[in-house]
Amino acid sequence: MTEQREHVEAAPPHMGSVLKMMSRATYFREAALRNLFLLCAVAAVAGVALIFVFVGVRGWPVVQDPGLAAFLFGSEWSATNDAFGILPLVTGTLVVTIGALLLGAPLAIGTAVFLSEIASPRMRSIVRPAVEMLAGVPSVVFGFFGLVILRPVVAALTGGMGFGPLTASVILAVMIVPTISTLTEDALRSVAPGIRHASYAMGATTWQTIYKVLLPAAKIGIIDATILGMGRAIGETMAVVMVAGNAPQFFAGLGEPIVTLTSQIVIDMSYASGTHRTALFGLAIILFLISMGLVALVRTLSRHAERQG
Amino acid sequence: MLLAASALGGCSDEGGAREGLVVSGSTTLLPIAEVSGEMFGEENPGVSILVSGMGSSAGIESVSSGSSAIGTSSRELKDAEFDLGLYDTPVAYDAIAVIVHPDNPVRDLTADEVREIFAGTITNWSEVGGPDLEIGLVNRDEASGTREAFHKIVMGDEPFYRGAVVLPGTGQVRAVVAEVKGAVGYISLGFVTDEVVAVGIDGVAPSEASVVSGAYKVQRLLHFFTMGEPEGLAAEYIAFVLSPAVQETVVRDAGFIPITAKEVSGD
Repeated sequence: MTEQREHVEAAPPHMGSVLKMMSRATYFREAALRNLFLLCAVAAVAGVALIFVFVGVRGWPVVQDPGLAAFLFGSEWSATNDAFGILPLVTGTLVVTIGALLLGAPLAIGTAVFLSEIASPRMRSIVRPAVEMLAGVPSVVFGFFGLVILRPVVAALTGGMGFGPLTASVILAVMIVPTISTLTEDALRSVAPGIRHASYAMGATTWQTIYKVLLPAAKIGIIDATILGMGRAIGETMAVVMVAGNAPQFFAGLGEPIVTLTSQIVIDMSYASGTHRTALFGLAIILFLISMGLVALVRTLSRHAERQG
Repeated sequence: MLLAASALGGCSDEGGAREGLVVSGSTTLLPIAEVSGEMFGEENPGVSILVSGMGSSAGIESVSSGSSAIGTSSRELKDAEFDLGLYDTPVAYDAIAVIVHPDNPVRDLTADEVREIFAGTITNWSEVGGPDLEIGLVNRDEASGTREAFHKIVMGDEPFYRGAVVLPGTGQVRAVVAEVKGAVGYISLGFVTDEVVAVGIDGVAPSEASVVSGAYKVQRLLHFFTMGEPEGLAAEYIAFVLSPAVQETVVRDAGFIPITAKEVSGD
């Protein structure tokens, strides 16, 4: 038994501090559970690492063929001409994503403010599930909606057929609303109640409190939310393929077809071989780097905020 | 026999083991290969035809590497593939129809007009005798055998206009052309329905008769490729696909024109 006790005491303080003594059976059960959760975490990390290594190994040869400069700065993507320049695809992704954020972020932040500051509990119980349900709608349904309902409207506005960045951005804007609004609402709720009460006690109106006190106080959380929404917009594929028009050309107008990184992968995947296939993995590396950059940005901002708070 | 044996792959030849034949390639040909494969299996107990659709290029690649007995293709061999020693058995005709919205009064275009439309030099229907309406170009993705065939026959050396909407499927092209008044696209004749109108080219409307007579130029052959002349089981299966039992039912149902149609019309 002494041996057992020593073991318990040797455990890290946060484990030992709860239970000083436990039976052998309990100890093993605890240890097994601890390792099980560790395994879950390791599996998640290993998944990311494996995907990264796989994509990296398959995509790395792009630096030789077609060559890094031709790949990154080439302005033509055409498999039949052996041209694999990703500039039109990158700009396409940028245009569509910025459009989605311009339309979606204000909508989502407004929803979050409404839910956390204005809505009555009854109202909240209707609106919040509705917003959450938006997150559960499959992207192909969004795409179909965009193709059949939104595209003709855009066509009437911009001329042409309605395939292009505007349609894609509007669809993406709606798709990122749940991500941004849920996280923004959390950020607003985590503002200390005292701050809110103090503002009202000073005679500030609801609007003044929201605009001058709450939004600045939750600023970092809102930026985090927006960045995560951006990640969602960049990664979305199916809905974009259906409405963007998929022409590998530079931005030519809101109603002119455009292609994004993810949609090009999905269009070419089925038949690509050789250099073309490598180039698709190259696209995946670019996407990976973008998403790593976004996560790093979120982490830096949060750490920055912690230090300040 | 060697062919069938190689196609067997890992299967051992125990008593009564099923003989297998691997057929892979074009997705366009998938309905023909699949349905005829099932029928062949029913008529020849102990034989199974394993069909997969991975695209024409993949089919040609897999038959030349020996992993399939038959590679199906909706396109001709490319220059680089001529020396592989592949034997070509055409199994059906397919016409590619240029389609427009039913409200569009344009019913006939010259081959030059079609080329200039898809090259982006003609941008308004009024330039080809239609209403003052902007042309909405709908193209297929580069994986498409239809796109490749259309490019080869109609466009020649001219590249497609790069600003055209690219849609990854015949059904999607048809759906969009059916909805947008100014749109124009191209699909396999077998997929043309009442929602869209197939326009004539140089005064010839696409139909079985005009394809068989050769008057409608935008047509292609669908191929079965084998390594050398087909032998054994592969030869039996190909003969079955070419038989009227398949040609008049399966091939027609899939929307293609039987390869035997030309012989029947007998010039």
